[in-house]
Amino acid sequence: MHGSKLYEGQKLALKYFTVAIVLFGAQLLFGLFAAIQFLYPDFLFGVLDFSINRMVHINALVVWLLYAMIGAVYWLLPDEAGREVVGVKLGELAFYVLTAAVAVVVLVYLFIQIGPGKESTIWFITEGREYIEAPRWADIGIVVVVLIFLYNVYATVMSGRRTGILAVLMADLIALAGLYLAGMFYTDNIAVDQYWWWWVVHLWVEATWEVYVAAVGGYILIKTLNANRKVVEMWLWIEVAMMFGSGILGLGHHYFWIGTPEYWWEIGALFSALEPVPLVGLFVHVLYDWGKERGKGNKITNVPAFSWLTVETFGNFLGAGVWGFMHTLPQINLYTHGTQWPAAHGHLAFFGAYVAIMISAIYLAIQGKAGLKELKMTKAGWWAISLITVGVLLMTVSLTIAAYVQTMVERGMHGATWEGFFAAQNNEWFWQGICWRLVTGIMVIVGYGFLVYDLLTCTKKQPVKESEAEVAAAAA
Amino acid sequence: MCIEPCTDVVCSFWSILNQGPMTLTITLHTLIVLPMIWIYFDEKKKMAQGDIPEE
Amino acid sequence: MGKPSVWSSNRFWRRSATWVTGVSAVLLILLTFDSMSQMQMGTAQDIKNKVDKRIPSPLVINYKIDYQLNRKRGHEVPIIGGMDANGNSKYEEKEKFFGRDNYSEKEARELIHLGKLTIQAKNCMDCHTLLGNGAYYAPDLTKAWLDPNWKTLAPAYGGKEYAMATFLQNPPAMAMHERKMPNLGITKQEAKAVVAYLKFMSAIDTNGFPRNFGKIKGAVDAWK
Repeated sequence: MHGSKLYEGQKLALKYFTVAIVLFGAQLLFGLFAAIQFLYPDFLFGVLDFSINRMVHINALVVWLLYAMIGAVYWLLPDEAGREVVGVKLGELAFYVLTAAVAVVVLVYLFIQIGPGKESTIWFITEGREYIEAPRWADIGIVVVVLIFLYNVYATVMSGRRTGILAVLMADLIALAGLYLAGMFYTDNIAVDQYWWWWVVHLWVEATWEVYVAAVGGYILIKTLNANRKVVEMWLWIEVAMMFGSGILGLGHHYFWIGTPEYWWEIGALFSALEPVPLVGLFVHVLYDWGKERGKGNKITNVPAFSWLTVETFGNFLGAGVWGFMHTLPQINLYTHGTQWPAAHGHLAFFGAYVAIMISAIYLAIQGKAGLKELKMTKAGWWAISLITVGVLLMTVSLTIAAYVQTMVERGMHGATWEGFFAAQNNEWFWQGICWRLVTGIMVIVGYGFLVYDLLTCTKKQPVKESEAEVAAAAA
Repeated sequence: MCIEPCTDVVCSFWSILNQGPMTLTITLHTLIVLPMIWIYFDEKKKMAQGDIPEE
Repeated sequence: MGKPSVWSSNRFWRRSATWVTGVSAVLLILLTFDSMSQMQMGTAQDIKNKVDKRIPSPLVINYKIDYQLNRKRGHEVPIIGGMDANGNSKYEEKEKFFGRDNYSEKEARELIHLGKLTIQAKNCMDCHTLLGNGAYYAPDLTKAWLDPNWKTLAPAYGGKEYAMATFLQNPPAMAMHERKMPNLGITKQEAKAVVAYLKFMSAIDTNGFPRNFGKIKGAVDAWK
């Protein structure tokens, strides 16, 4: 490494990470409001209605993950390519433009909230389409910012070292950016609307984001464990084959009930049923490398980053793989579609697949910024990872219990009507699940407090001996 | 006797391939996986000939 | 190191990954072309010729809509304008919608357009699910038009479309549950358009989702 001297691209990465962590806090806060409203519907009624809290909750999630994803690329890019990021000043400008745009969008969400049924609302207030509610002007802004980002990545790699990890990232990022365009038009036909909406949502979270995670995960393994690059990159190509092979046509599992032809039943069912396979692979790979490198006597050079990576593989497999598979076959999905099932699955999957690895990448950057050879887990870091992971796991279990009740009572017993919906919502098993969700949510928020504290202080709390050795080495 | 006209609203190439559970999906899986066998033997041949540059 | 194996060759996996990704993407695009052709919104001509469309013409707001089991399909399908002996739509039985059953294609399309815009502008999808997608705080709206609950309320308002439109313009005043819908400032015209959209949406062929909608005897009012 290059001591404590960072590339300009890596300094930019730190800015992206900072905003990401702030937005992570916003996500949790508005999630808390929404969770309270499930139990006390009058809480903030008419001020911040459930729809607004829920929208900010999921939008903050998507946006902070994107910030962290861009940040992680800017962090590893100069290191992998062996040169400074090309066009880093432009990247910096894009960062400020994006952050200003996000701030405006959030203010409009909170204070204007909704508009009349006119095109102007779609352009300036909200598009009202779950996950991609951002108004059209912001969509165009995002496209411009992403084009700048892509230019930086491509120009840097073209004139630098071209590793397998970077090759996968380049192909993946262009697909990721291109897919966003599928969500940028208006149609009166709600079936066509949702068809293309899923191109963005599914092909992001179940294809391109997963491949992104595999690539960045590979980089983290090399950095924290000194894993063999050739083996990591071979695994990466296997992951790409399996993730895109199952994930692209796995899109069909969203095309069961939205006015799409019946042939999607079997395409969606059997391709998406294979989606967990690469996730098992990722899990096995990380544990295998861990055992192997430990056996050789290699130390883990960044314990928090590696721990979060382990949580990632475990959570990704369990949340995206197992919880996804549980309701992916059409015979089951007919009854679980639109219940708390996807909520249970979504919470563990987003956390396991994406949140954990982004935190891992942030710890890697924290270590690099301080120029430490080794980063050990502090007490606060331990509390953060334990509270957040256990919190989300228990939240998923709570929501799953609620989901079972809703599926049985609303869909099975009552035939999905208005009365069936409330019969399920009023069932005490359901209600208890929702109560526990709030409790476990508070657990996660406490964990977030520890996390922020740890990110700010962990490099100063390393065992004295080693920091001294570090200072001496840097001085020499 | 086995091939029945599709039961869907509109008949198309894909819905005719969809003859009960799995026919369509097995066709597609095969289409995707089979050529990998060819890639395998092609790589094996190149390896034997020593055509593979060191990475 | 032993003999080099293709299985541990990066080249083999890179080529396989490229092939698998490419062919999956091509298949998805081909399937999308086919699906899009089947998902275009129907026209007045389709109604006249009694052609079933997955997404029917907005003119269905002039007709009675039902949701019945179809033997051939093996699940429930929307029935527009009455059902014939084979369980197919007849496109004959009309039903008054805000006092009229003769909306022109242009009028119906305009209503649907305003309805869809309003549904997005008021962010319905972050409480409700539509076609099963959205948030899980409030009931699914896929077949809301056919919900038995509106049938019970209809007489007091002179028809269920009036009951639904009245509700939408000031939901807290007609709150039916502790978890009530907020007042979203929906105008009279927007309310009518949203109800038109709900009626239109209930006629979309969703491959039998939701199952047994409103059909289970004894289920209605069971929790009271």
